[in-house]
Amino acid sequence: MAPRSKKATTVPSQTLVIDNGAYTLKAGLVPSAASDLSYDNCSMIPNCIARSTRDKRTYVASELADCKDFGELAFRRPVEKGFIINWEAQKAIWEHEFMDSSAGAGLRCDPKDTNLLLTEKPNCPKELQKNCDEIVFEQFEFAAYYRCVGGALNAYHPPSLGSLPQECLLLIDTSYSDTTIMPVYNGQLIHPAVRRLTVGGKLLTNYLKELSSLRHYNMLEETYLLNEIKEAVSFVAPSSQHFSKDLERTWKGRLGDKRELDSSIVLDYVLPDYEQSVHGYARPHDPAKSRMRRGLQPLQGPREDLLPLGNERFAVPELLFNPTDIGIHEVGLPGAVMEVLNGLPEALKVGMLANVVVVGGNTLIAGFMDRLEAELRSLVPANYLLNMVRADDPIKHTWLGAARFASQPEVIKEVLVTKAEYDERGSTWLGKKFAGESR
Amino acid sequence: MPHVEVLPNSAASVAPGWTYVVDTGYDPSKVAINPKNKKRAAANPNQRGENELSSRQQTAIARRIAELNRDNDPKQSIPIPGKTSIPKTQNARRIIQYQRQIKHWLDDEEAQLAQVQQVPQPSARSAPSRPVAQPLRRSSIMAPVPPTPSEATPAPPAPSSHMDLEDDPLLAIDSSMPPPINQAELDALLSASPLSYAASHVAPPPTGGPPPRHFCDNCGYWGKIKCLKCGARVCGMECKDAHEATRCLKWA
Repeated sequence: MAPRSKKATTVPSQTLVIDNGAYTLKAGLVPSAASDLSYDNCSMIPNCIARSTRDKRTYVASELADCKDFGELAFRRPVEKGFIINWEAQKAIWEHEFMDSSAGAGLRCDPKDTNLLLTEKPNCPKELQKNCDEIVFEQFEFAAYYRCVGGALNAYHPPSLGSLPQECLLLIDTSYSDTTIMPVYNGQLIHPAVRRLTVGGKLLTNYLKELSSLRHYNMLEETYLLNEIKEAVSFVAPSSQHFSKDLERTWKGRLGDKRELDSSIVLDYVLPDYEQSVHGYARPHDPAKSRMRRGLQPLQGPREDLLPLGNERFAVPELLFNPTDIGIHEVGLPGAVMEVLNGLPEALKVGMLANVVVVGGNTLIAGFMDRLEAELRSLVPANYLLNMVRADDPIKHTWLGAARFASQPEVIKEVLVTKAEYDERGSTWLGKKFAGESR
Repeated sequence: MPHVEVLPNSAASVAPGWTYVVDTGYDPSKVAINPKNKKRAAANPNQRGENELSSRQQTAIARRIAELNRDNDPKQSIPIPGKTSIPKTQNARRIIQYQRQIKHWLDDEEAQLAQVQQVPQPSARSAPSRPVAQPLRRSSIMAPVPPTPSEATPAPPAPSSHMDLEDDPLLAIDSSMPPPINQAELDALLSASPLSYAASHVAPPPTGGPPPRHFCDNCGYWGKIKCLKCGARVCGMECKDAHEATRCLKWA
C-alpha cells in the first residue's frame, strides 16, 4: 500500500463535481478548501442530445438554450433509470461541456489536473459501475476520482459540524427517473433499507402526454411541450377527499345532464405555434373560446390552439401517492417511506424522522410537500417527532452537498483514488473499494 | 360412498344408455348448458372476481407502464454531431460502442445473481453449522458448575438511593424512548451490500388496504361501469361510445 503522504501530494486542488442526472446534469468546479459554496456555483445542463426534424439541427446539452422550435424535438438521453447507459452520448456531452472549446468558462478543465467526484443512483448494477470507472480513467484520464451515491452526500449540509456529516438523515429524492428513499447514517448510506418507487417525473410527463393525446390532439412527439405544461399547471390535491371533490368539479356530466366545468380548476393552455411564441401559457377556462377552437377560427389574424386541462392537472401527480391508479403494483410515497423506516432499528427510525429532507424536481409541484407531510404524519406514531423540509433548491441540493464534501481537503483525500492506483490495481479492485468492501 | 344396487324386479329393466348415478349435488357440467345471463357469462368466462383482471388486460397494463417509463425511443437514433474523439484504449472503445438499453443490463444482473445463488450451495450449507455447534459446547461447560449460594439466595432489594420522582409513571420517559441502538446490529446494517435493482423496489400495496380506484378510460372521471367486451372502466354512455371506437381491447 502506498504511503498516504505520497498520495496526498499528488492530488490536484480542484475537483469537478458532477451530479449526473437523467434529465439535467448538475456540475461545477470546486476549489479545495472553498468556504463560500452556494447554489450559484452549480450549472444545470440538459443531459441530452436533441434533434429537430424541422430545422434539421442537432443540439448537444447546453446548446438547447438556443433552440427556438421545440416542436417534434427528439431526445437522446445517455442516462436511463438514473444510470449512465450510453457512453457514446455521455462522452460527447461531457466533452462538449467540460473539455472542448465550447465549454463554459467556469466549467472548462483539463482532466489530467482535476479530480472527479461523480454521483450515482443507489442499487446500480456492478457492470455499469465498472464501465463508468474504466471510462473515467482510460478515456478521460482524470487525475483522481471518487464515485458514490449522491443522496448520501446531502449529509454534508450546514447543520453538520465541519467535516463531520449529519448523524441521521432520511433523504427522499423524487427525480426524473424514479423516486428513491435513502436513509443515511453518519454520511453512510444504509444500503439494505433503500427503496425505490417507479414513479418519477418522466413517467408523469409521459402520462400527461398520453392523456392529452387521447382526449385532444395527438401530442406523442411533443415531449418538451408536455413537460413544460406539466411544470406549469399540475398540482397535488391536499388529500384523497380533496381529490374526489376536484374530480367531481372537473366532470363534464352525463348525456343530457351537462355540467359547467369549474373554471377555478379547469385551465386552457394556449399552445405555442413556434412562429410568434416559443412558450405557451395557461389561463382560466373560457367555454366560448374553447368552442371557437373547433373549426371556427378566423382565417386571418391571430389563431390560437387551446389545450383544455381539467382533471389531468391533479390526476397526473397523484400517481406519486397512488401508483395503483394506473395499475403499478406499488405503495404510494408515504407508504414507501414507512417501508424504509421499518427496515431500521427503532432508535434510528426516531432519528431519521427528525431529519427528513426532500429533494428532486417533482417536489416543485404545488402542494406536494403538504400532502406528503400530512399523509406521513398520519402513518408515523404520534409520539415521534416528524421534521420534514424541502431543500431550498431541490434540484441542485445534492450537487451542493457533494461540493461541500469535495471542498474539504482532508475528507476528499481519504476517498479519492488516483489514476496511478487504478493503473496498478485495475477496475475490479476499484469497484470493491468504492463499494466499501476492501476496508 | 353409498352403495347402490339395482334390485331385480319385474317392473324395471336395465336399458342401454340408462343407469343409476350417485347424486352428489352440484354438477358443473350441467351449469353451463343453459346460463341465465348470456352476456355476463360471455364477458366473464372463468368466474373471475370483481376486481381481477384478465390476462389480456394485464398485458395491456404492463405494456402501457413500460411505455410510460421508457427513456429512449429505440426507433429513432440521433447521431452525435461533429467529429468524435477516438477512444484511447481498446476497453474504452468497447464500452463506448455498447448500444444496449437499461433493460439488457438489468436482465444481465438478474441472470448473474441467479447463477451466484445456484453455485455455492455446498459451501453455504457448511458455514452455518459452526455457529450452531458453539453454543452447545459452551452450555456443556457451564452445566456442571453448581449454582453458588449467592445466586440461590434472593437478591437484596435494590438500594433506594434514587429520588421518588423517578418512580412517578407520569414523568417516566422510558415508554416513549426507543431502545438504544445495538452497535453490532448497526454495523451489520452499514456494511451490508446493496440490494440488486429489482430487489430494491417498494412492496406492493397491502392486501387488506383500500381497494384500487378505477377511473374512466376516456375522461378520467370515476370508472363506474365496466366495458362488457374488454373489462376497462368508463363513466357513462358518452365515454363508452368513445371507448369502443378507439381503445376497446376487444379488437387489440
